Amino acid sequence: MNSPRTTLYRDKHNAKLMGVCSGIADYTGVNALWVRLGFLVLLFTVAPILLPAYFIAGMLLSKKPPHLYVDKEEQQYWQRVRQSPKRTAREIRARFRDVDRRLAEVEHHYVSSNPRLTAEIERLR
Amino acid sequence: MDPEFVILPMVLIGLPWLILHYVTKWKTSATITTDDEVLLDELYQLARRLDDRMDTVERLVASDNPEFQPKRLQANLEADNQQLRELDRLIAEKKGTAK
Repeated sequence: MNSPRTTLYRDKHNAKLMGVCSGIADYTGVNALWVRLGFLVLLFTVAPILLPAYFIAGMLLSKKPPHLYVDKEEQQYWQRVRQSPKRTAREIRARFRDVDRRLAEVEHHYVSSNPRLTAEIERLR
Repeated sequence: MDPEFVILPMVLIGLPWLILHYVTKWKTSATITTDDEVLLDELYQLARRLDDRMDTVERLVASDNPEFQPKRLQANLEADNQQLRELDRLIAEKKGTAK
């Protein structure tokens, strides 16, 4: 698998049993508590098939490799990518535009006020 | 008419319909390829680095020219807040050891 950041893992590190629910929580960015609650509610009300499905998923999914993300921010970033890549692309564009705007501001400051020139003039007086 | 004759077809037809509807929706939604993932990773790292560099440049310019006030469009940015929290924590620690 060549796309390590967009595959579903089971998160053994935060696991209660096999880590399937915490893996889903890590994949989607939903709190693990809600995933587990929803799983149990569905299991006891409409879909008892979820129990064998859980163990099949527990056997099929590979464990989440440690140190996949550098920090919390990067983890949240990839959760957003998995939710909607398009929106993330727009967010990245917004960040680049923000940097561009700030750079333009610095440039404008140096071009319009020219602090070095005014300092030279002050010295000549 | 018995209620069973209404509920049974509803469950038998409606439930698979609902499931298949969302399965097709999920299938047709854009999935990103390995290349896309690499590209997004690079863009993310680049945006972050540029953002940090811009912070440094703004700070340098502001220290040389007191009248230069960098404007923030997003005043409450998580990336900045995290650093501020770190600073708060360090200050609190320092106060704790000084006492």
